[in-house]
Amino acid sequence: MKYDYDVCIVGSGAGGAPIAYELSHAGYKVLVLEKGKSFKEEDISKDELAVSRRDLFTPKLDEEKHIINDREKDGSITRYDGEEYSWSFWNGSMVGGSSNLMSGYFHRMKPNDFKLKSVFGEVKGANVVDWCINYEDLEHYYEKVERVVGVSGEVKKHSFLEPRSTAKFPHVKLEENKVTEWFDTACENLGFESISTPRAIISRSEGKRNACSYSNFCGSYACATGAKGSARAALLQKCSAEVRAESFVYKLESDVEKITAVYYYDKDLKSHAIKAKIFVLSAQAIESSRLLLNSKNKYFPHGMANNNGEVGKNLIFSAGGSGQGRFNFEDLTEKQRRELMQRGLFFNRSLQDWYEYEEKGKNFKGGTIDFLFEHANVISRASRELYNDKGELIWGKELQEKIKKQLTTSKVLSFEVFNDWLPTDACFVSVDAHEKDKFHMPVGVINLWGHPQDLKVGEHLAKNAVKVLKEMGAKDISYNISAAPPPNLVAGGCRFGEDAKTSVLDKNCKAHALENLYVTDASFMPTGGSVPYTWTIYANSFRVADEIKKVLQG
Amino acid sequence: MNTNKRTFLKTALFTTAFSLVSKGDVFASVTPLETLEVLQEDLFPHADNNASAYFSLILKHTKVSDASKKFLRNGAKWLNEEAINTYDAIYTKLSSQKRQKILQIIAKESWGESWLQTVLKYILEATLGDPIYGINKKESGWKWLAHESGQPRPTKVFL
Ligand SMILES: Cc1cc2nc3c(=O)[nH]c(=O)nc-3n(C[C@H](O)[C@H](O)[C@H](O)COP(=O)(O)OP(=O)(O)OC[C@H]3O[C@@H](n4cnc5c(N)ncnc54)[C@H](O)[C@@H]3O)c2cc1C
Ligand code: SF4
Repeated sequence: MKYDYDVCIVGSGAGGAPIAYELSHAGYKVLVLEKGKSFKEEDISKDELAVSRRDLFTPKLDEEKHIINDREKDGSITRYDGEEYSWSFWNGSMVGGSSNLMSGYFHRMKPNDFKLKSVFGEVKGANVVDWCINYEDLEHYYEKVERVVGVSGEVKKHSFLEPRSTAKFPHVKLEENKVTEWFDTACENLGFESISTPRAIISRSEGKRNACSYSNFCGSYACATGAKGSARAALLQKCSAEVRAESFVYKLESDVEKITAVYYYDKDLKSHAIKAKIFVLSAQAIESSRLLLNSKNKYFPHGMANNNGEVGKNLIFSAGGSGQGRFNFEDLTEKQRRELMQRGLFFNRSLQDWYEYEEKGKNFKGGTIDFLFEHANVISRASRELYNDKGELIWGKELQEKIKKQLTTSKVLSFEVFNDWLPTDACFVSVDAHEKDKFHMPVGVINLWGHPQDLKVGEHLAKNAVKVLKEMGAKDISYNISAAPPPNLVAGGCRFGEDAKTSVLDKNCKAHALENLYVTDASFMPTGGSVPYTWTIYANSFRVADEIKKVLQG
Repeated sequence: MNTNKRTFLKTALFTTAFSLVSKGDVFASVTPLETLEVLQEDLFPHADNNASAYFSLILKHTKVSDASKKFLRNGAKWLNEEAINTYDAIYTKLSSQKRQKILQIIAKESWGESWLQTVLKYILEATLGDPIYGINKKESGWKWLAHESGQPRPTKVFL
């Protein structure tokens, strides 16, 4: 058989780029097919209207959408059409994927995250399993991500610090806002262990990538300096892999044991086929499952690699929620006011004191709390002032005065809680029988359900976060822990595992059923850890790249 | 958002004048843009935001859904209907005091609250978005809130 490429990768984000980087450096011919457009540093701006209000980087919902089946408490299902309800699960369609837009709060998973079932036991109604690899198998790759993608931070001993093979981060920590000192003092008073949050942002220039300029518009925005460790800046631009933008992959074709081709539409909706020795799927968790389910043939009548009905199952998100407190000028000294309003510098602080905790004699897997200043987006901040204390819509002078006061004489410190979203039978990806996208492909259906334990753990963490805000002197403290899924922190759908009956992928993230198909976004994760996923996605993808190299070397 | 009202009114383009019928007569003709021009002054008087022009831009924007555009237009129509019902005159012809009264009335209805909120958000966009869109003239909105925009600033508009 004649091949166009050694390796063809679908999706150019955090899951796909390490494969492209490693295999092209090893001398293989690599093609990356990416549905989104290509943006370079010089194309990037901090245009709030384009990026945050008009969704520059995500598809139009009337052209591409999801159907969301939300399971209510009584077990009934409410169906939401993503277009009608403006409910978007798109995160970043562009070369480098949503990694361009991430904030880059980076945490490794902990050793016990790899063996949740053995350590914490079964949870009723949840499909908790141990991973088929352990922390030690991944440590080397976490370290590799620190070096190659670039992670800055400061290693500080704390109760849940994971074992590290190196003493320090390759990049010194980013500059911090003075208010972090108020936070550290509050934690000391409370007996909590304040951690400086590692970031996938480089603090000094490296090759084509400039050091962070503290632009103050980081999360949700692409980076104009190259400091953020996006798959594009950190990997794709540093290798010879060919990246074909505006190429939407709609189908995989196979014989009984191998993928024979992928089919994609270019921007003029012309169809093309690519033949390669190895195919890697990394279209982000939901879309990878959808593509497999949409790729049916006589060998795989229920979708590619889906003869055991496992594709799409055990979809997970990051559980938890967020909260906030406000610091008002009237409570602060002149010096504190200046510190509070200092622009651009990061608030990188996290707490992991309750990564595991005991309650009523039972051990629980807890999670992480990241603290950060409210996003600098000024239109969004002003828009949050549209209601008065009585919950009535206001306008005119009353609204203008409220906006002026809140935005110029106070600042909000937020926190985000990350805990395990337990995998269950009720949370999965399927495809819709009727609704199609602009490419005439069945749209993905996201079947949602959050296990009650997720909320309980989230509450426990949020209550501790609130103690810190109170101790710091914040006012108007509130939080919201819910089963609403964060669309940007999604995993599962193609679990890896030893048993082909209960998992889609083997230990090396190769489909059990096919010789040459790998999935390297977060789909492989059977449980998610209580941290945002991207460091683990990158690390695992570097691990799988080594396995693919072995296969190609014969 | 009142989805029923959103879906059943599939009327003409935004700039087409709509006729408001009262007591069997064609009472008056007014375009949604004319209504919004007066309304934005009532909701958020801000000299340099150029909100009226911004509304035309929103109504042509490729990333604003047809349903949202329709809702914006229909809300302007319903506002005028409310004005006619209450004061026998279209919104733009009422005194400032009477216009405020109308706003208070519709803010208590679910479509009205949702529509006013939508309009206010667009006005805030015009007040605080990048001047490259012909809004926030001389960065007056940013100066008002001592806001420093992110760098780099856009060099082209996204429409
Ligand atoms: C605003 C924001 C903030 C975030 N902050 C953090 C954070 O602080 N910490 C953290 O760890 N994570 C964060 N994340 C999450 C992080 O971005 C993701 O975990 C990571 O990028 C996922 O990698 P991926 O490869 O699965 O998906 P992506 O990086 O999104 O890449 C998938 C790519 O596949 C493409 N694609 C999809 N379907 C097809 C198809 N059919 N054909 C061709 N191409 C296709 C998409 O266009 C996309 O470019 C954040 C995300 C967002 C959006
Ligand atoms: S320059 Fe720094 S703050 Fe700005 S987007 Fe890049 S990494 Fe984030």
